[in-house]
Amino acid sequence: MIKDILRRIFALAKKEFITTWKDPKSRGIIVALPLLQLLVFANAITMEVKNIDVVAIDRNNSVESRELISRFKKSPRFRNIYLTSSDKDFRSKIDNQKVQIGLYINNDFSKSLRGGKQSNVLVVSDGRQTNSASIASGYASQIIQEYVLEFNKGGGASINPVIRNWYNPNLEYRWYLLSILIPMLALVVTLLLTALSIAREREMGTFDQLVVSPLSSFEILLGKTIPPLFIAMFLTCFMVFCIIFFFRVPFMGSFVLYLISIFISLLSIVGVGLFISSICNTQQQAIIGIMIFQMPAMLLSGFVSPIEDMPFCWQILTYINPARFFMALSRGIFLKGMGAGDVITNLIPMIIIAAITLTLASRTFKRKLG
Amino acid sequence: MYTVEIKNLIKKFGTVTAINNLSLNIESGKITGLIGADGAGKTTLIRLIIGLLPKDSGSMCTLGLNPDTQKNELNAKIGYMPQKFGLYEDLTVIENLRLYADLKNVPQEFDKLLEITSLAPFKERLAGALSGGMKQKLGLCCTLLDSPEFLILDEPSVGVDPISRHDLMQMVKNLITGKTTVLWSTAYLDEAHSFDTTVVMDKGKIIYEGKPHDLAPDSAEFENKVIDLMGGYKKEESMIAKNYTPGNFDIEYAVEACSLEKKYGSFYAVKNNSFKIKKGEIFGLLGPNGAGKSTSFKMMCGLARPTSGTAKIMGTDITKNPEKARSNLGYMAQKFSLYGNLTVRQNLEFFASVYGIGLFDRKKRMEEIIDVFNFKDIQNQKSEELPLGFKQRLSMACALIHNPPVLFLDEPTSGVDVIVRRDFWNHITSLAKKGVTILVTTHFMDEAEYCDRISLFYHGETIALGTPFELKKNAGAKTMEEAFVTLIKESENEKQ
Repeated sequence: MIKDILRRIFALAKKEFITTWKDPKSRGIIVALPLLQLLVFANAITMEVKNIDVVAIDRNNSVESRELISRFKKSPRFRNIYLTSSDKDFRSKIDNQKVQIGLYINNDFSKSLRGGKQSNVLVVSDGRQTNSASIASGYASQIIQEYVLEFNKGGGASINPVIRNWYNPNLEYRWYLLSILIPMLALVVTLLLTALSIAREREMGTFDQLVVSPLSSFEILLGKTIPPLFIAMFLTCFMVFCIIFFFRVPFMGSFVLYLISIFISLLSIVGVGLFISSICNTQQQAIIGIMIFQMPAMLLSGFVSPIEDMPFCWQILTYINPARFFMALSRGIFLKGMGAGDVITNLIPMIIIAAITLTLASRTFKRKLG
Repeated sequence: MYTVEIKNLIKKFGTVTAINNLSLNIESGKITGLIGADGAGKTTLIRLIIGLLPKDSGSMCTLGLNPDTQKNELNAKIGYMPQKFGLYEDLTVIENLRLYADLKNVPQEFDKLLEITSLAPFKERLAGALSGGMKQKLGLCCTLLDSPEFLILDEPSVGVDPISRHDLMQMVKNLITGKTTVLWSTAYLDEAHSFDTTVVMDKGKIIYEGKPHDLAPDSAEFENKVIDLMGGYKKEESMIAKNYTPGNFDIEYAVEACSLEKKYGSFYAVKNNSFKIKKGEIFGLLGPNGAGKSTSFKMMCGLARPTSGTAKIMGTDITKNPEKARSNLGYMAQKFSLYGNLTVRQNLEFFASVYGIGLFDRKKRMEEIIDVFNFKDIQNQKSEELPLGFKQRLSMACALIHNPPVLFLDEPTSGVDVIVRRDFWNHITSLAKKGVTILVTTHFMDEAEYCDRISLFYHGETIALGTPFELKKNAGAKTMEEAFVTLIKESENEKQ
């Protein structure tokens, strides 16, 4: 019995592999698309940064240091200033991406300033978000410089903002981008591969042929899930390989965790793709379906703007977006060495998304029979 | 006076010669029927005549113009209806007509057309929602809008029921003037027999040209003569049936339809449809386009879910246990629905494993099938590149690969030439003799004669059930075609 089921699923999967590879269009998706996007994204994307949250430690607690912090408060670019006294809190706020900037004022700040000497202010930025990090720390040093100019009025005092980028010490823009490119490309390719597959068979009339065979809808679903999952998996691993060995981005996390994360992330995307495919009658409709899903999925993934900056209702929406978790995982494991606990927290929503979309897909194509 | 004059025409596609040194004159003001086997070059010839393809060599003149260089002037004078006319399915009937009237720059007067075609009540219906026969009528209307001097029809009656076919013929005859020339390509030989001239093509050449009545006085004899011309068909023992190993089934009725019903809103597509098919019987589902026979057929094999009632295949309920019921079923769809980019062999392999033939038996079975169906030379060819006749054989091979006791055929011979059809039915009747139960739908009334019993379907209901002989007797008709038309008309009158 089980043997029969496995044999049928295997037959279906094998056929999917052959048709996918023989079709010049889908071969193009697999080979040309990643290369093209790699080139395109290599030097694109600048972003304006607003609503920067800051965590500050003021060891000096003088008129001058409070004045400096209030300048941040007044600036339209900065939103919340969290004052804290513990180093641990400071670190965790940056760690959890609650804030983009950390400000550390030493206890000799006012003394050096009054004495006309140079004093240091430490500006810590979150190097995982390269672009916004560098922009935000730029704003911060600007505010500091303006302050010292006013304070001094021609005197010899100066403040030197010391900028440190945590997690990505050299602020390699590419690192950030490349770790994000993996989920982005995987999303596009996987969606295309899956969303077209059932719709194409419907268009050609071969889907009827499958339905009248002894294949159950569960078997059809599995046969349709496995090949794109494997192709996308292979492709993703290939990209990771390239990024590590050709772009020389250090891989900080665990490979096993990363592979598991990719697998489950792809599964949830396959689920979405098959669901789109199951409600479409033609490939054209499926393509439109992909567009409708893909654009918001990317915009709400935290790639374009940090999720924390979105309006509340949009933030809630990101919880049903597999791309959001996939990006968080890829970025986290790749650049930061995210631990198992955090990985699991990100995986659970995706398992739920996969379960729901795959069930819906099989239900829908069953019901579509009329 | 000739509309088309062709001399020594040659057209090659790569190494294949589609038109081989062909000469032909088509007389003005006459209807000329173009017949021939699949791949004989009919469509290529038509496309050359109207300038859609450039010729390789030879001389050609259509309506006194050179189709290669004077295509624009020619376009204004001809009406061409390809096999699948370009109707806009998301526009209504009247919107389609208006669009084509604007394109052809003629006044928007459709009343006469709509009346003759009896499309008037469906003016506001979407073209996509029309039945096959009505779509073809609408296509013909659009072609005839600017009263062309020369009308070219490429198999307009494929997949169209006998009544609509008759209507199409009447439409053409009513709507053309005495001066119009018509070139009509068809697979229906009774149609061809009723035209003024017949041209038979084979392998890119004309093998017969003359009056159909000179060849044979009636259409049945005409068919035999045409087959002889095309090389003849010798009925041989069906190897397919010979190699069929029937399962050991002790069952009286292999297929049962139990009060099948399908409702869309308040509209019954199929109403209370019941019949039982004995083991080894060939059962035909006949009826006009849109009568609900496709819906019945789909419900029988589990492609559509009945609103109420059910069907049983080898005693297994299709709605309750679909996987098991379908494992006893071989299915052949109307249009070619195998994987076009898989090879012949890969297609067979796929269906073999889907239908539960284990790895060890599969190899043996594959060799057997390839041998029996004569696929040896083409087994590694992509199936979409095969000629129509071979595609059809491959569909049949895939449907038979698991030796099913029941075979469902949905218009299996639609668009296939007469010799392939004869060969096909030879296999089907031989299989039935070996105990295979067959459910078939068709629009070819001569094929209906092969059936043991027929259910005639109209407006979602069975209006007649019996042997072909009984149906003909009831209708007082000589041929199945006459019986079909009479019974449908009677049912129509009763309703009113």
